[in-house]
Amino acid sequence: MARRAEEIVTEAVGQFGNSRESIIQILTRVNNELSYVPPEAVSEIAAVTGLTEAEVFSVVSFYSFFSSRPRGRNIIRICSTISCAMAGQGEILQALTDEFGVEPFETTENNRITIETTPCIGLCDQAPAMLVNGEPHVKLTPERACEIVRRLK
Amino acid sequence: MEKKVLLAEEQPEFGAGFLKALTMSPADVVNLMKDSGIRGRGGAGFPVGFKWELASAAVSEVKFVVCNADEGEPGTFKDRVLLENYSERLIEGMAVAGYSIGSSIGIIYLRAEYSYLMPVINKARERMTANGLLGKNIQNTEYTFDVEIRLGAGAYVCGEETALLESLEGKSGLPRNKPPYPVTSGYQDMPTVVNNVETLCAIPHIVLNGAHWYAELGLGECSGTKLFSVSGDVERPGVYELSMGSPLKELLGLAGAVDVQAVQVGGASGRTVSGSDLDQPLSFKGLPPGGSVIVFNNSVEMMGVLENFMEFFVHESCGQCTPCREGLPQLQRAVQDIVSGDVGSMEELKNYFTLTEVMKATSKCGLGQTAANCFVDIVTGFAEFHHENYQSHRRGSDE
Ligand SMILES: Cc1cc2nc3c(=O)[nH]c(=O)nc-3n(C[C@H](O)[C@H](O)[C@H](O)COP(=O)(O)O)c2cc1C
Ligand code: SF4
Ligand code: FES
Repeated sequence: MARRAEEIVTEAVGQFGNSRESIIQILTRVNNELSYVPPEAVSEIAAVTGLTEAEVFSVVSFYSFFSSRPRGRNIIRICSTISCAMAGQGEILQALTDEFGVEPFETTENNRITIETTPCIGLCDQAPAMLVNGEPHVKLTPERACEIVRRLK
Repeated sequence: MEKKVLLAEEQPEFGAGFLKALTMSPADVVNLMKDSGIRGRGGAGFPVGFKWELASAAVSEVKFVVCNADEGEPGTFKDRVLLENYSERLIEGMAVAGYSIGSSIGIIYLRAEYSYLMPVINKARERMTANGLLGKNIQNTEYTFDVEIRLGAGAYVCGEETALLESLEGKSGLPRNKPPYPVTSGYQDMPTVVNNVETLCAIPHIVLNGAHWYAELGLGECSGTKLFSVSGDVERPGVYELSMGSPLKELLGLAGAVDVQAVQVGGASGRTVSGSDLDQPLSFKGLPPGGSVIVFNNSVEMMGVLENFMEFFVHESCGQCTPCREGLPQLQRAVQDIVSGDVGSMEELKNYFTLTEVMKATSKCGLGQTAANCFVDIVTGFAEFHHENYQSHRRGSDE
């Protein structure tokens, strides 16, 4: 069972404090656990930090790791920058979107997977690379990438 | 010349540089950095000793040392390798910086893409604490220092130091106006030194071996060694450490590059060098030594590379100022038009080049000031113009 957004916020505030400079750390916790930042989390963070909801929301919308729309339980971020592109990133993206039937930034119907593209993730020496729930996977082939994603819960 | 210091197999004990610094006066540490000639390794190349001197002269109870671990320039991964293997050296360098400027708080700003490195860095911090190198009254001196790690959340522009400070303050990463500079008014308006991961990792080595030793590591007027991340069409992609000032050709030899059409040096915001021009040195006066080196062999369509870079910049512009926000999509469209042969005339092409000048001169931060470099280099050096319309205009033009 997923925890409620408010609960995650309360726990994160316990660790990072309730000042403005903590909000990216708090948002990261929420975003990682729920795969996105729901409106309740924005309200709760605004309430505990004394910021307006608009101020919190503007931070959510600025950073590309945060999403204000629901995403799948697992987030796949495929590097789309040049070294990965030259190493076959296009075929990997194609294989994943074909197998799981979604376009980039869409979520599968069972809410299991969201596939995103992202700029260089600093693994260019092992291209093509992707992050799966933040963990790096490198030197991918279309088959291996699909296999990794298939195994996710 | 390949010269391993930061990546040497034989490493001085972690903490030894910091312990030695503690026996010196803070001013002497600053002078050591000035004498060594070390300049920032994050791209801009600002002299480290000078930066620390300014921060140490700033009068304030509270000051900060911030490590820029946002490494977002396409094609660079050397800071990742340092964080994976030398986090203790990094924290040690931060402690030296803190000691010399009078700061007791260090913050590592780690890009979200590297959040899987959090445990490694935390462990390094714990080991340093256990060895009495962090905390209150370190080694029974007056000096107190500790570090914390904060995550970014996916924004290239946050590598720009003032955007990074905004992000640390829990805001959107919008670059600030400068001045004031971070050394006088940085994190929470307090004097703040921002340095790159590689810069900070070099510091303990300089303290241990001296300014002269460090200066001599570089070629000619250059100081020290430099890490380069090499990727693309090479046999052995990876991180290489060379004397600062080494020719690009040498680095390419180490990485095993053949049939080179072009090399992107310094990342998407750097320069595109033709395969016939590889003798140039990697240095602050030569090719940008930021660290990213991407090799393209003769089978690569360079205008496709440019499209990839433009897409990157359009995505990453923070949108705060007009030349960058509006200029980049125009250049992106220009690239598509050149590829499809839709650039109507020499006049039109010239206008795009004027736009690149405007962006360079009037953008607020380094992103907008450098984003058009690749457009200029690739369109000038690699684009093919076979469109009839363009041809006729070119013939008719006054050039
Ligand atoms: C758009 C942009 C992105 C940058 N990204 C980084 C980065 O990822 N890492 C870094 O150390 N410096 C980056 N810089 C340079 C920083 O602003 C700053 O000069 C540097 O962190 C200072 O440290 P140094 O003097 O040790 O190099 C970037 C600059 C710009 C304009
Ligand atoms: S130059 Fe671009 S990235 Fe920099 S402040 Fe202006 S809009 Fe933002
Ligand atoms: S280009 Fe893909 S990780 Fe750098």
